[in-house]
Amino acid sequence: MDAVTVERAGINQKPSGRVADEAGPLDAPIEAGKTVGTITVEDPIFSCRDVDVYYGEKHAIKKVGIDIGKNSVLAMIGPSGCGKSTFLRCLNRMNDTIPSARVVGSILLDGKDIHDKKQDVVQLRARVGMVFQKPNPFPKSIYENVAYGPRIHGLAGDRVELDEIVHNSLQRAGLWEEVKDRLQHPGTSLSGGQQQRLCIARTIAVNPEVILMDEPCSALDPIATARIEDLMEELRQSYAIVIVTHSMQQAARVSQRTAYFHLGDLIEVGETDRIFTNPRHRLTEDYITGRFG
Amino acid sequence: MALSLEGHTTRAFDGDLSSLHIQAVAMGALVIEQVQLAVSAYSNWDRSAATLVLERERKINLYDAQIEEAALQLIARRQPMAQDLRAVFAIDKVVTELERAADEAKKLALAVLAESDASGFRPGAATAREARALGRVAATMIRAALEAFDRLEAGAAASVVQQDKEMDAEYADALRRLLTHAMEDPRRLQATVEAAFIMRSLERIGDHARNIARHVGFIGGLDPTATGVLPSSLSIKN
Repeated sequence: MDAVTVERAGINQKPSGRVADEAGPLDAPIEAGKTVGTITVEDPIFSCRDVDVYYGEKHAIKKVGIDIGKNSVLAMIGPSGCGKSTFLRCLNRMNDTIPSARVVGSILLDGKDIHDKKQDVVQLRARVGMVFQKPNPFPKSIYENVAYGPRIHGLAGDRVELDEIVHNSLQRAGLWEEVKDRLQHPGTSLSGGQQQRLCIARTIAVNPEVILMDEPCSALDPIATARIEDLMEELRQSYAIVIVTHSMQQAARVSQRTAYFHLGDLIEVGETDRIFTNPRHRLTEDYITGRFG
Repeated sequence: MALSLEGHTTRAFDGDLSSLHIQAVAMGALVIEQVQLAVSAYSNWDRSAATLVLERERKINLYDAQIEEAALQLIARRQPMAQDLRAVFAIDKVVTELERAADEAKKLALAVLAESDASGFRPGAATAREARALGRVAATMIRAALEAFDRLEAGAAASVVQQDKEMDAEYADALRRLLTHAMEDPRRLQATVEAAFIMRSLERIGDHARNIARHVGFIGGLDPTATGVLPSSLSIKN
């Protein structure tokens, strides 16, 4: 081999494309529990480690470990069936309602295991509220939708206190001005976007610490979506929010951290700013650029 | 990993992105010719070549406007993410660098045409030789940067950055010689200043080539803070 060839060969060996960094190479093989990026945060509200979920024989979530930070929005993205909603439902033990579901691993809320025998599930779901894909107000008045939770949890001493909780909750959900003159109208008489904000008001009425949102805007028009997104930015000042969304643009807009799930594995976690401009894992890149499958 | 602008589930996205890239490469090829022709026009004091440079400049500006419009449409329609977002962002910047490199070439042509009407500053043999040498390095750099851009090889950027150092050294040599010349004969001062501006333009073309190489590195996900030409918000260290 002459000198020129040697030099050429040397140049060709230089990395072309992405540089591998401390988090591992871009094409890292999928290995359960080996997530690219930093899964920990300072002072987490939730700390999940080695979480497995089985639906009968199906292994739906594989050794997922992630912290959820206070006063921030974590977006969970991934193709349908990747396990993001399943993982979300682990956080307030909604999977308990599915007979074949089995959850293994450690999920600590403020340092305490949510699967502890002493843990009251109703209490847990008040601390970790949930907003669903389709707005699902109770078939009651606007007032009663919000008052129901505080009432069963005994949060209000009298009617005046209850009125105040309802007022504050609707205010924080950005709905008060629109409904203050018709609190006794049925919740279902509101528009889709208003109903979703009513559900958010209902969730925050019981003083939760975490709000889980499962595609909260997928049934809403762009304007109603924008209002919910604005609301999330306000709510994160007081709560931790975890959102599952199919809209990458929404995840990029509303969240500070993003987690990418793929076939039950948590592939990558990172700062949202970086995930959508320069993800580390090839699978994340393929998914967010629309090259999946 | 070899970078690719293709492979989207939506095939039309592949088409849009590739078309943007191909147009920018085609514009680059025109800019290389432009630089070579401008250097030849200056060093041979060739008025018709200089006129051709000015005519071609319009075509380059048209490319610039068209690619910018296509990039805007692509962002609006496809909302590119990650590698695609970096590619669109970088292609737009590459096109700006190419357009500016062409502007520098135009300055050489303008010098020739302005001289034709006045008594002038036609370069002496030594200055013409130096312009040719710097022009050769500038064109080589643009070509190398453009090849890296065409193949999306981030690693290839390193050689262009190295060439830029050589260019800087040659430029410093040329300036030193011109300065010596002016000191020997102060009556030649104005001609020397004009020649220095020409050398400066050629050196700037090298700078644009170096920037193009850095933008290519950025598409590949290299740390842009190391290149100093891109916002740190897009840094992988973020």
